[in-house]
Amino acid sequence: MKKSRVSLLLAITLVGGTVLAACGNGGGSGGQSADGVTTVEFWAAPNPPQQAFWQDMAKEYEAVNPDVKVNVSAIKESPSSEASIQAAIAGGNAPTVAENINRGFAAQLSNSKALVALDELPQFKEMVESRNMAETIAPWEFADGHQYVLPIYSNPMLIGWRTDFLKEIGYNEPPQTYSEVLEATAKLKAKYPDKYMWAKGADLADPTAWKRWFDFFLLYNAASDGNKFIEGQNLVADDKAGVEMLTFVDDLRKAGGILAQNATDPFETGAGVFTDIGPWTFDMWATKYPELKYGENFTLTLPPVPDHMDPANAKTYADAKGLVIFSGAPEASQQAAAEFLKWVYANEENDVKWFKQTNLPPARDDLNEVEGFKQILAEKPELALYAEAVSKGVPAMDNPKFNELQTLIGQEAFNKVIRGEIDPQTGWNNMKKAIEGEL
Amino acid sequence: MINKQNNKLGWLFASPYIIFGLVFFLGPLLWSLYLSFTNWDLIAPEFDFVGLDNFRKAMAAPGVQSAFWVTYKFMMLFVPLVTAMSLAVAVVIQGLPKFKSVYLIGFFLPYLSSGVVASLIVQGFLSYNSPVNEFLRGTFGINIDWLGSPFSALFIVGLILAWKFTGYYALILTSGLESIDKEVYEAAAIDGVSDRQRFWKITLPLLYPALYTTLILSFGVTFGIFTEVYQLTGGGPNFATNTWQMEIFNQAFTNLQAGYASAIAIMASIVTFISIFVIRKLLESWGKRNGWV
Repeated sequence: MKKSRVSLLLAITLVGGTVLAACGNGGGSGGQSADGVTTVEFWAAPNPPQQAFWQDMAKEYEAVNPDVKVNVSAIKESPSSEASIQAAIAGGNAPTVAENINRGFAAQLSNSKALVALDELPQFKEMVESRNMAETIAPWEFADGHQYVLPIYSNPMLIGWRTDFLKEIGYNEPPQTYSEVLEATAKLKAKYPDKYMWAKGADLADPTAWKRWFDFFLLYNAASDGNKFIEGQNLVADDKAGVEMLTFVDDLRKAGGILAQNATDPFETGAGVFTDIGPWTFDMWATKYPELKYGENFTLTLPPVPDHMDPANAKTYADAKGLVIFSGAPEASQQAAAEFLKWVYANEENDVKWFKQTNLPPARDDLNEVEGFKQILAEKPELALYAEAVSKGVPAMDNPKFNELQTLIGQEAFNKVIRGEIDPQTGWNNMKKAIEGEL
Repeated sequence: MINKQNNKLGWLFASPYIIFGLVFFLGPLLWSLYLSFTNWDLIAPEFDFVGLDNFRKAMAAPGVQSAFWVTYKFMMLFVPLVTAMSLAVAVVIQGLPKFKSVYLIGFFLPYLSSGVVASLIVQGFLSYNSPVNEFLRGTFGINIDWLGSPFSALFIVGLILAWKFTGYYALILTSGLESIDKEVYEAAAIDGVSDRQRFWKITLPLLYPALYTTLILSFGVTFGIFTEVYQLTGGGPNFATNTWQMEIFNQAFTNLQAGYASAIAIMASIVTFISIFVIRKLLESWGKRNGWV
């Protein structure tokens, strides 16, 4: 904490960025050194397995393409990966390629003309065909008809259930509908007053935009059968499903089933019975909570749905990230990057390697068909559930104002319902009004 | 001739700081002022001049309004707390027969510690399944959502800040206490002055210059609160701990609205300047009214 540190950071970023931008090469057709080597600056996700994968790919590619150098480094997360990319673009130091970009941030970047439209690159069509991802990439098209992100992986978020506690209150299978969850909550509270059905710590009461992907959109997508929330510049949310979902959250709160205060790993430590789980969690559990074993004391399902819906076909939120190429990078580097990506995705073994190393399901149409994937899924049955649910995942909105809009969802409706400060219908109406004002 | 040479020498010696100030403070300030009238997002190659729109939007924004009031709430909590704590530490340390410096360094260490680390420790300490809360639930049947209710969240952040700055201000106050002539106390003792009278009639008036410094510094701190709030509450619950710096950060680095964030930063600077000016005048008139200056 230093006085006005953020103001100073902002001011220095503004000036520094502009000065550096003026000094930068501003795109153009550079990117090649005197010895004819083209450099691709590749910013990987700050996740060691992902970095390791791209470093291996770069090394292998350089071995067969000595005229290209692929520098892989992790995106700096201080103050956030988005802010690092933003500052780099402003400073004329943007990489050629960055991974770990969600649709919302890509919409912000494309709105500012910072991204290359991938569908206009000559390598794009071949890349999509050879990777067998035509269906997967289709919903990634942006409102202007272009593709700015090449999806790498798509994680349909699932609900993890502590089956050990469920069994103790008489359930062999997790509850699937709102009524069943509320009924189970009553039984849980009767036996364990200190335990909660949904324990996610303070995230549920925090208005930070990205947190809504893992609670609000998880439930909204299930309740609305995947109905879009925002389309272009219009709010097209399903009112009935939205209010129904918030009413469920409110009922769960009233039944004492929600823990919305700061807690350390509440699901893992047994304070809560269900929470959202992504496949990246399992590696962490293997070292930190080895006692948690799929099929023994936890299981995975799609999110709970209203009573009139079929739980087996519930939709969910897809935590999907992809690669972008920056328009500020020299043209030669952009082309070299596209060639590099085409080379990586021309070989399905590379995606198998990716899946094995990261646990993140590759964004492909043939995840349940390719032998290499089948083998991994057989070895890790918990990942098979994610692979099966890929088609049920709804990706994030592609509105450039997604941060403001998702913050409003929390501030006006979700966080207040969680805290019992507003009734679901009023919260939903207030949220709609605020979002429509912002749009 | 000598005066002219002295002037040149003075400018020369002051030039590093002047250049530093021009490059890192005045330049960014002017650029930020310019940007506050635009809708630039820091990335787009083009942007528009939007006049006073950013300021109008900021005036009506709940985040900015909360930042304004939350700063004064922190002020009311933090300033008395840190002043009382640092004064107590200074008085106790000054009365020690030896090893004063060692104790002072001990109290000063929190000032050097990382706000992020301190916040993470506090977060773990106050979590639902921490030993503290397990004990409170098990023994008294109470469950406190320390960071989830507006007052306690404000109080916890204020307490961390007070812990961090107590040693630093105690250092300033100790040097103030050390500068008070011992003969004044001896004379008062001969005159039969009580301990209470001694503090209010001798120590406090003679400590006023040091106290004035620590008070101005502590008032200033409340306008720059960021790390603890960012780590512990994110400005919540429901804007209860949203500060100027938090709001600027969110608008600039989350929502990527550099122009709008610049407008908020300019507003924050103006509010800070006016507030500190008024506080300074009030403190000076307090000193003058009591004949301490």
